[in-house]
Amino acid sequence: MKYGRITPWIFLLPTVLGLAFFRLGPILAAFFISFTRWNVITAPSWLGLANYRELLNSEVFWLIAKNTVIFSLVYVPGVMVCGLFLAILVNNKLRGITFFRGLYYLPVITATVAVGVVWSWILSPRFGILTRWLNDLGFVNVPSFLGDSRYALLSLVVVYIWKMAGYHMILFLAGLQGIPEVYYEAAKIDGATPWQTLRHITLPLLSTTTFFIMIIALIQSLQTFDLTFAMTEGGPNNASTTLSFFTYINAFVHFRMGYAASMAFVLFLIVGTITVINFWARKYWVNTIE
Amino acid sequence: MKRKLWIFLALALVASFALTASAQQITLRYFMWDPMFEDMERALIDEFERQNPNIKVEMTAMDPSNYWPRISAMAAAGELPDVFSMSTGYFEQWAQDGLLLNIQEFVDRDLSTDEYFTEVFSENRYPDKQTGDLYAIPYAWVTPVLFYNMDMFDAAGLEYPDETWTWDDFLEAAKKLTIQTDPRRAPEQYGFFWYGRYAQVEPWVYANSGRILNENKTRVAIDENAREALQFLSDLTNVHKVSPPYKEIVGIAQADLFPLRQVAMWVDGSWNIENNRQIGGDDFRFGIAPVPKGPSYVEGDDTTYFWPDSVAISATTPHKEAAWELVKFLVGENRPIESYMAGKVPIHRGLAYSEEWLQKDKYPANMELILQQGEGTGRTTFTLGWSEWRGYAATGGAGMNGELDKVTNGEQNVDQAIKAITDYANSVLERYYPEP
Repeated sequence: MKYGRITPWIFLLPTVLGLAFFRLGPILAAFFISFTRWNVITAPSWLGLANYRELLNSEVFWLIAKNTVIFSLVYVPGVMVCGLFLAILVNNKLRGITFFRGLYYLPVITATVAVGVVWSWILSPRFGILTRWLNDLGFVNVPSFLGDSRYALLSLVVVYIWKMAGYHMILFLAGLQGIPEVYYEAAKIDGATPWQTLRHITLPLLSTTTFFIMIIALIQSLQTFDLTFAMTEGGPNNASTTLSFFTYINAFVHFRMGYAASMAFVLFLIVGTITVINFWARKYWVNTIE
Repeated sequence: MKRKLWIFLALALVASFALTASAQQITLRYFMWDPMFEDMERALIDEFERQNPNIKVEMTAMDPSNYWPRISAMAAAGELPDVFSMSTGYFEQWAQDGLLLNIQEFVDRDLSTDEYFTEVFSENRYPDKQTGDLYAIPYAWVTPVLFYNMDMFDAAGLEYPDETWTWDDFLEAAKKLTIQTDPRRAPEQYGFFWYGRYAQVEPWVYANSGRILNENKTRVAIDENAREALQFLSDLTNVHKVSPPYKEIVGIAQADLFPLRQVAMWVDGSWNIENNRQIGGDDFRFGIAPVPKGPSYVEGDDTTYFWPDSVAISATTPHKEAAWELVKFLVGENRPIESYMAGKVPIHRGLAYSEEWLQKDKYPANMELILQQGEGTGRTTFTLGWSEWRGYAATGGAGMNGELDKVTNGEQNVDQAIKAITDYANSVLERYYPEP
């Protein structure tokens, strides 16, 4: 067979069809559903913009939107710093370093529900080991990390960072190992301190990786669901509910598909906007070595 | 002549079709939500098939979190199974949307009412809980009780609670049962435990003849008696400190606190007997008593929370009679006692009053108490959108549940909570019931 203009499309066809039917299709369907009232078991009825109006007028929604923003603002820098720190740590050529690389990666492949159950226990005020240690160290009024509305969301972020830092470590590690050794040797000869080396060699040469990780971490933070589900159920009183968790609840517990779809679209707009801004800002701080 | 032959042949053909059809097997699809009891249910189905050779049953068991999305999708596609498990939480919606078969005629025709706890049926009536027709039928039901730890009562030198207990008696006992050696730390043992959960709050409201909903069950309207009950509960935590604030018990399955011997008393559904036995172990001695009556209790008001587990028939099933035969069998006396977890009561009186169910050799020793409550009047707070405004399971942190948790945490008082609950709940209920 001759390699004609349509040949590549034939090979692309399965992927394109898959994308169209299983990605684009549902997205379009969800867009239309967001203008309806639909409880799944009966036919949807047209509501116009009512779902969006309800969303914007709902106090709960704004609280949850605020929670989502806080979650992202803490999670993204937190997981990036931890990931980078771990990556630099395991980038040393020491004996047995692969063991530590594996160890730090372990939480990533552990089932989220299991992580949630164990951490719920660790943080539990009555039986939790953390509370007990803090008590033994002399702290008496140890707060309830998951039951107090002031700390619940932050506790979730910390556990989530603990779980995902290993993932970002691997990505950073790949980036670190792509930096040629010669730069470090040159810096050493010039008498640079470790901090200067990090600041002027490692970070600039890592910026493409950093950019990628930032996008991934941001999307992760906005999609967080399973840990919330396993640890706080969004409580106390919605204090740790985020947008994706709330969308799930409305869709599959309350069976308010239209309302949930409108929420998913708001989330989609937020993710889209931030990603566009990121790509625009990229040219100011990301070094692309052509 | 030829024409007559044709007619004869046509008739013969029709007749032969009819004959084969009647001899043909009917296949029913049955969906249930309790994979834990799948084997027992399967054995029950086998027995049904043996007794009804022309009916074949294809059973599917799924856990509830997968069950509802799946079965809702099937309803949307018009492919509901002929017979399926139904929850009181979703019953209103499904009945309103015309997905459930009206089985009133069948029940009137085939079931002898004195063989069943018929008062429990009321939750499956639509549109009205007293006068409506039945659209599902329970195979089991549960009701809340006051659990108490007998060893802790013995150690404190207290009499066990009984039906004569008032709220004052309860409070006095709870105080004596709270043990705190280091005042800087949380008590080692609490007299009682409650948080915003429906099964732990509504029983106290009903025991004080209070109401959370209006007469039509279309709006939240917390009356004075209900307010009094909520205030009593709030004081247990915030004033008398005999019950832990919610924030102190997170991270532990709340149903495990009592069997883990952290609290001396607890009000929740009778189905917890099973968990109490499992977590508490063989040496865990506990009893059950009625929820104590409040100061505003109206004499003779025997209102209790009932929660039936039911089966329903699809409104569109082509095999109504066969499906009813199966349902009748599933709720009847053939169901093995082992398929009820301890504390869930068979709807069939004969089964419930049997030695196997009463289990005199295990704790609690007075299971009859649950059956007595089954003779009372059932009441629940279920409405359309219930899980949304009440806050339940995956949304336990929200709605009325969440607001009451804040009360136990000392973040707001009862009146603030009532206002927040009423505003939020009614904004939800207005969507489902435009008319109050």
